[in-house]
Amino acid sequence: MHYDLIVIGMGLSGLMAAKTAAEAGRKVLIIGKGMGCLTLFSNTIDVLGKIPETTRLRDGLSQWIQDHPEHPYSRVGLTGIEQALSSFTSLFKPPYSFQTIGDENCFLPTGAGTMRPTYLIPDTMVAGASSKKKKGLIVGFKGFRDFYAGYVAGPLNWRGVTLPIFDTPGQEISATALSRWMENESFRETIGREIIKYLSGETCVGFPAILGVNDPIKVKRDLEEKIGVEVFEIPALSPSIPGMRIFNRFKEWLIRKGVTFLLGHSVAKVSIKDKRCEGVYVFNPPVSNFYSADRFILATGRFIGGGLMADRERISESIFNLPVSQPGSQEEWFGKSFFDEHPIHRSGILTDSSLRPIAETGEPILENVRVAGTILSGHHSTDEKSREGIEIATGYWATKRAVAK
Amino acid sequence: MNLKTEVLIIGGGATGAGIARDLSLRGIPSLLIEKGDFLSGASGRNHGLFHSGGRYVVSDPEAARECIAENRILRKIAPHCIEETDGLFVSLPEDGLDFRNRFIQACEEAALPARLLSREEALSLELGLNPDLLSAVKIPDGAIDPFELVLANAKDAEAHGATSLLHTEVISLLVDGDRVKTVLAKDLLHGEEYLIEASYLINATGAWADQLLKLAGLRIAMALSKGSMLITNQRLSHRVVNRCRPPSDGDIVVPNHTVSILGTTSVRLEDAENFEVTPQEVFLLIKETSKMLPAIEETRFIRAYAGIRPLFQSGEKGDDRVISRGFVLIDHEKRDGIRNLITITGGKLVTYRLMAEKTSDLLCRKMGIDVSCTTHLNPLPGAEKPSGLKDRLKTLGKVETLCDCELVRRKEVEEVLREGKLKNLQDILHRTRLAKGTCQGGFCVYRLLGMLNELGLTEGNSNKILKGFLEERWKGIRPVLWGTSVKEEELIETIYKGILNITSAECRMRNAE
Repeated sequence: MHYDLIVIGMGLSGLMAAKTAAEAGRKVLIIGKGMGCLTLFSNTIDVLGKIPETTRLRDGLSQWIQDHPEHPYSRVGLTGIEQALSSFTSLFKPPYSFQTIGDENCFLPTGAGTMRPTYLIPDTMVAGASSKKKKGLIVGFKGFRDFYAGYVAGPLNWRGVTLPIFDTPGQEISATALSRWMENESFRETIGREIIKYLSGETCVGFPAILGVNDPIKVKRDLEEKIGVEVFEIPALSPSIPGMRIFNRFKEWLIRKGVTFLLGHSVAKVSIKDKRCEGVYVFNPPVSNFYSADRFILATGRFIGGGLMADRERISESIFNLPVSQPGSQEEWFGKSFFDEHPIHRSGILTDSSLRPIAETGEPILENVRVAGTILSGHHSTDEKSREGIEIATGYWATKRAVAK
Repeated sequence: MNLKTEVLIIGGGATGAGIARDLSLRGIPSLLIEKGDFLSGASGRNHGLFHSGGRYVVSDPEAARECIAENRILRKIAPHCIEETDGLFVSLPEDGLDFRNRFIQACEEAALPARLLSREEALSLELGLNPDLLSAVKIPDGAIDPFELVLANAKDAEAHGATSLLHTEVISLLVDGDRVKTVLAKDLLHGEEYLIEASYLINATGAWADQLLKLAGLRIAMALSKGSMLITNQRLSHRVVNRCRPPSDGDIVVPNHTVSILGTTSVRLEDAENFEVTPQEVFLLIKETSKMLPAIEETRFIRAYAGIRPLFQSGEKGDDRVISRGFVLIDHEKRDGIRNLITITGGKLVTYRLMAEKTSDLLCRKMGIDVSCTTHLNPLPGAEKPSGLKDRLKTLGKVETLCDCELVRRKEVEEVLREGKLKNLQDILHRTRLAKGTCQGGFCVYRLLGMLNELGLTEGNSNKILKGFLEERWKGIRPVLWGTSVKEEELIETIYKGILNITSAECRMRNAE
C-alpha cells in the first residue's frame, strides 16, 4: 500500500502531523504502538511554563527562541508555534474547548497541593485557575489511589473530603472506572447528595480530572446543578482522562478525514535507499506488511514511547538508527540531585531547520524523513513545562515542511 | 529531661537490638538509643545472606563454626525471617579446582553439610548458571530479612520491659574517675535533650564504635570498609550463588524476597557518613557476577547501595578480648580502667545473637549476677506465622494495595502506624516492604503521603518530605540507570516534576488569603 505520508508514532506530535497532512489533502497512514504519552501526562497544554509569571506567552516565547537557538521552538519559530496551537484548538469546538487565561500562563492546583503553570486548559479546569481567590472543597474517593483530597487541600488552606463509594471498604478504583461512573446520572446524584452534606460556605468544588471521557461538560454542568456551586477538575496522576479525551477527538477526526489508523502496531524495519526511506515493515505475527510512502514523520517519543533507547554505553534511536546527541558516558547522564536538569533529557535527534535529521557534521541523513515531538534534541520539556507545546508545534511544522514541496 | 536506666545500649543495629532482647529475657532493664531508626547502619545494608559458614570455612574456620551454630539456632527462633534456599559454590574454568578441594575438605572438618555436584547436576538445579562451569558445591546457605529480624528482636525486648529512644544521638559522655557518669543525648528530630544516668553502658555502634569512644577520651583502631551491592528487579536464581574461590569482589548473588542482590566490593573509607556506590564498583560487580549468571549482563537493576563493615584491627593492645576474628568484645575496665563500659563491634548479621549473648554474659559477670541466656531457646515474635507472598497474592484486588511492586496493603501500613513511635517516613519504609520493589517507591510514596494526610498524621509540609524521599531514592537509582530503568525514571520524573510540579525551589504554595 502506498501513501503520501506515513506518520510513525501516535502521541500528540504524531496526531498533529497526521492532522496537518490530512488538511493538506494528503493520503496519510499513522502507525502507533500505543497512545503515546498523551494518556499518561497530558492533562492540559503546556507551552512554556518556565517564564516569569506575568509575562505574555508570546513575549516569553520570542525571548526563549532568541536565547535557545538549538531548542525545537527555534526551529519552528514564533509564527509556526502560534499557527500550530490554533490548529490544535480548532479541533476542540465548544463545549469542550481549550482556552487561555489572558494570553499568559495560568496556574492550576496539582495532586500535591502545589500550583502549576500551564497554558491551554479545557473548560472543565477553568474554575480552578483562579482558585486562590476562592474558598473550595476538594473531593476525593476512597480507594482511588492517585488523588488524595487532604493532600491537595492542605497547602491551599481548603478542605478536603474523601467519599466512600463501595459498601465494602478497601476496594480499589481506577481513574477510568471513576470517569465511566461519572457519566452515569444516578452515580452523580448519589455523590452530589453526599457533597452537599459537607459543603460549608465553599463556593467551588474541585474533583480529580475524572469527570467522564465522552462528555465532561455535561457531567460538570449536571454536578453544578446538583451541588449548587461551581465544579472543576484537577489534573491527577496517570492515566490522564483529559489526555484520553484529546486522543479520542483526534482519532475520530482523523478517521473521518480518511486517515488510515494503525493502532497497536509497531514498525519493525525500514527500507532505505539513496538517503531516502522507501517504506516501513509493520510486523503483525505471523505476517509482515510493507507500507511505502513519499514522506515520513518520525514521532516516536523518548524513552517511554520507545523512540530512544539506552544501553549502558550510549543512547540510540530505535527505528532509523539516527544519530543521537550523546550526553557523555552513563555516569554523566544524570545529575547528583533528582531535581537537577539531567543532561540525558537534552539528548535527542539533531535536525536542520526543517526538522530533517542530520549528522553531527550538519549533513542531512534522510531527505524524506522529518522528526517531530519530544525525541528532538535541545529541550528539557519536563523542567521547561513545554511538552505539549513542543509536540504540537513540531508535529505541525515538520508536516508543513514535508508537504510544502 | 533526666532519665535513669540500669543499662544503656547505644546503637540500634542487630547487635544493639539483640542485646536489648537478651537482657530483657534475663530480667535486666535497659534503654536503647539510636541516632537513626533501627538498622540504619550495616545491619540494614548488607546482602541478606543467611550464612551457613561456607564463605569463611577455608579462610576463618572459627568464624565459620560460629556461623554454623548460629545458623541452626536462627532457623529455630526466627524461621519467619529466613528463606532456606540453599547455596551453590560454583567453580568456573578460570578458578581451577584447587580451592574447591580445600573447600570441600574444610566443610567436612567443620561438619558443614556440603555436596559436590557435577556440571550437569548444577545446571539442572539452576538453569541460569554459566554452562561453562566445572562443578558446584551445595551447602545450606539461605536468605535472611534483616529488617524483620532486628525489629522482631526490638519488639520482644520491649515486650519484656526494655525501652528505646530512636532518632536520638549521644552528644557527650561525662567520665568521672573510673566510670561514665552521665550521657547527654539529643533527639535529632525535635531537639529535646536527655541527661541519662546508667549503671552500665554498652557501645554497640558498629562502624561508629571509635567515634563514640572518643567522647570518653578512648580510642580503638577501626578500619571502615565499604561494601557495595546491586539489586535486580527479579530473582535470578533460586539458590545463593557463590564463586568457589578465595573471597573477592563480586562473588555472590543472593535471592531475597522478590529480588536478587549482587555483592560485594571492599573499599577502605575514612568517613562512616558520606559514601556512595561508584561507577567503577557497578561495572566490577556486573562484570564479575555475570560470569556466574550470564543473564546479569542484560538484567534490569533497581538500586545500588553500600554498607560499612566495621573492621576491628586486632593486636593493637595485648589486653583486648578478641573473642574471634568475627567480632570483638572489649571490657573497658580491663583495657582502659573505665568500669562500666563495654564495646562490642565487628561480626556478622548471622552471629548477632551470639554477640549479644557474650556481651550480656560479660555484663552479668560485671554486675555480679548469675542468669543465663535464653535467646537461643525462645522463638522471636512472628515466628509462629511465617508471612507468605501467597497470602498477599490471595488478597490482591480485594483490599487496597499501596505498593503494587511488593503488594503492601494499606491495612498493613495502618497497623504499623498504630504500633506507634514512628517519627519519619523512613521509619515506615523500614517496617514494611513499601518502596522496596521495582519502582523504588516512585508510585507508592505519594500514596503513602496521601494516606497520612487523610489520617491527619502529617506534620508540616508533605512535599518537603516527598522531596527528601525522592533525593534519597535517587542516590540508589542513579548508578544503575540504563535500559528499561530509564523509561521508568522518565515516567517518575514527569509525574513529580511535571504533573505534581514538585521542584527543587521551595514549592509554590499560593494560599487562599
